[in-house]
Amino acid sequence: MKLRAATALLLSATALSPAAFAVGALAGAQIQNTAQVSYVVGGNTATQNSNTVSLTVNEILDVVATLQSGDVSVTPGATNQIVVVRVTNTGNGSETFRLTLNSVLGGDDFDPTPSSPAIYLDNDASGTLTPGDTPYVAGTNDPVLAADAFVTILVLNDIGAPLATGARGQTRLTAAALTGTGAPGTAFAGQGTGGTDAVAGTSGADAFATGTYIVSDIALAANKTAVVTDPFGGARPVPGARIAYQIVVTATGTGTASTAVFSDVIPANTTYVPASLSLNGTAMTDVSDADAGQFLVAPSPRVSVGLGNLTQASGPQTIRFTVSIN
Amino acid sequence: MNKGNAVKIGTMLLGLGSAVALAQTPLLASNTAAAQQRPAQKAGCIELKSVAETEESYRDANGQPAVRLVPVAKVVPGTQVIWTLSATNVCAVAADKVFIDNPVPAHMSLLGDSARGAGADVSYSLDGKQFAPPEQLRVVDADGATRAARADEYTHIRWVFRNSIGPGQLAAASFRATVR
Repeated sequence: MKLRAATALLLSATALSPAAFAVGALAGAQIQNTAQVSYVVGGNTATQNSNTVSLTVNEILDVVATLQSGDVSVTPGATNQIVVVRVTNTGNGSETFRLTLNSVLGGDDFDPTPSSPAIYLDNDASGTLTPGDTPYVAGTNDPVLAADAFVTILVLNDIGAPLATGARGQTRLTAAALTGTGAPGTAFAGQGTGGTDAVAGTSGADAFATGTYIVSDIALAANKTAVVTDPFGGARPVPGARIAYQIVVTATGTGTASTAVFSDVIPANTTYVPASLSLNGTAMTDVSDADAGQFLVAPSPRVSVGLGNLTQASGPQTIRFTVSIN
Repeated sequence: MNKGNAVKIGTMLLGLGSAVALAQTPLLASNTAAAQQRPAQKAGCIELKSVAETEESYRDANGQPAVRLVPVAKVVPGTQVIWTLSATNVCAVAADKVFIDNPVPAHMSLLGDSARGAGADVSYSLDGKQFAPPEQLRVVDADGATRAARADEYTHIRWVFRNSIGPGQLAAASFRATVR
């Protein structure tokens, strides 16, 4: 009877479905098990090993695509409008992923037109198009991701015109394991890392992220003023004098200016005064950290302040910083 | 594990007590001979066999969903493996104070309350040296607080069999572990 109860418990344990592991035993790993028995026969203690059982860890093909940018506010006729997607290899082996883009989706108001090129590998993971980013060419530079590694992808579309304010257009980036895709459990014999079998995981070995462009007529205006204070109590711009800048950024119109960033180069022949940067009266540190502002030395000295998503309701954003004349 | 197997093992183990009693008296005469033979052989008096299996769902003869154990050689993260250890006494004398130790295999986490062994007391270890029941295993967290160890932190399992294992008798132990 006791054994029967144990059997019932064993069976009930099978109802626990194992969770998907992003981090797990790597494909190709060997799991070995050797047990040992100890006993006494005729007063002598002995130990004996069991046979060694070896299990091979197959490759799980899994991928997650996540949208890194919120809704992107665009104006009619705008080009190279960026949606940011992160593609993460949630499998347990190195895998190559094929990227495809579809901007003709149902359920939206307009179809964006993929720019040329339309997909970039965001090599510096900046979330913006920079000279170091590489245009993606299927079959040529498909991203190869180690287990748990990710790549940031920039999806660029052009926006048609005319379009009504508030119209929504969607674009979808899909990443698919090059080894193969299919229903979870689909096996690809011998095609996994190190000659193991590859098995489609819960994602089916492909995943997509959908970004949305929203037509907006929002405009950002910046009004900059400067106050000079010289070392002698006057207001003459002489060496050693300080210039306090104030910039007021105002959003007008409908819609949202997504992830607006204010950036201002420090004028020639002046030097930024450390720790002089503030946003709406709150001081910010000069380093890149939790606060929105930072002072950057390269490529040229400048201050940068992230203003987040601005709407007309956000009201004026006041940025202040000070330089000294060399 | 299907019921057929479980009952079979149960019967054998339930018969253990009487088999041991029989073995101890009449076979004492051959004990010396056996003891002399055994050291010459590499294998000892108990052969320990380890088997890895997974559960497979299928339809039985009546079309009802059922689960059976099938041998496994390839796994993926999340696979639950049932390890079964069979200790068979191949000598003509009883083996006393039998215990089986099994390290939790690398890349695997022991499933809590999954270790089984009819006629055995199961204990666990966090270092392979000290074995204790689950309620006595504690770990110290990074913040200095002490808490009960989780099953996935156990590194070794031990089955201590309460009775001797007679000649030809089998003792079985099993546990479940999940590939990380």
